[in-house]
Amino acid sequence: MNKPTCKDVMMHICDNLGEELNSPTCIEIKAHLENCENCQHFFKSVEDTIQFYRKYNIQISEDVHNRLLEFLGLKE
Amino acid sequence: MEEKELIEKAQKGDRKALTELVKMYEQTVYNFSFKICRNKERAEHTMQETFLSMVKNLHQFSGDSKLSTWLYRVVANHCLMLARSESKYGFTSIDDDEALIDEKNLADWKVTPEHVTENNELKKILDEAIQKLAPEYRVVFMLRDVEGLSTEETAKIVELSIPAVKSRLHRARAFLRNELNKRLAYE
Repeated sequence: MNKPTCKDVMMHICDNLGEELNSPTCIEIKAHLENCENCQHFFKSVEDTIQFYRKYNIQISEDVHNRLLEFLGLKE
Repeated sequence: MEEKELIEKAQKGDRKALTELVKMYEQTVYNFSFKICRNKERAEHTMQETFLSMVKNLHQFSGDSKLSTWLYRVVANHCLMLARSESKYGFTSIDDDEALIDEKNLADWKVTPEHVTENNELKKILDEAIQKLAPEYRVVFMLRDVEGLSTEETAKIVELSIPAVKSRLHRARAFLRNELNKRLAYE
């Protein structure tokens, strides 16, 4: 997945507020975000948090796969 | 073969089609189970029980919703049930909004998401942070943000209203961000 854009961030924020992207609240938030370094850091770190968990996957081992098919009686 | 066709064949007793369906979803189910249950043995047990439930009940599956949505619901319920039966584990409260939107530490993180697969220390940090998050919040975060389901789908799976899902998601994100901030901002 590509890195989130500013628009993605705004969609996330506005979606959580139950607001459309062009609603007055979202327009005000966008204006604030463009000028506030604290908020920019905060939202970037929230987006990075989400990306960390998206990229952290556990690969199923062959043993686990075989035990599953055996458990279900589907092993050939 | 399309999923719909596989389901129809499996419903008529075709074992090959059933095996294909299991193979199609085993990685997704295992991954999601591990992320919610936080333990490899429990994740494997949950995956087995989930597919057993699928095998037993597939004849009732109407195809109105996605099979994956149905599987996510079984996994989530199973892991939440396990977590409730082990309530000895205390989870960190995330009721305090002020503490969640903590802007005290504003340093940029030196680790980037691209390095997560090659960084064992980072995996440990992620594990410890998610472990502290109550399972009810963890499920919503994983479904919505990690698995990429819509708010509506997530609400159906966890049987919550859409505003309740949004509220839990917001708190879960802020909590995890704060936990990571404690460890990543000064590394």
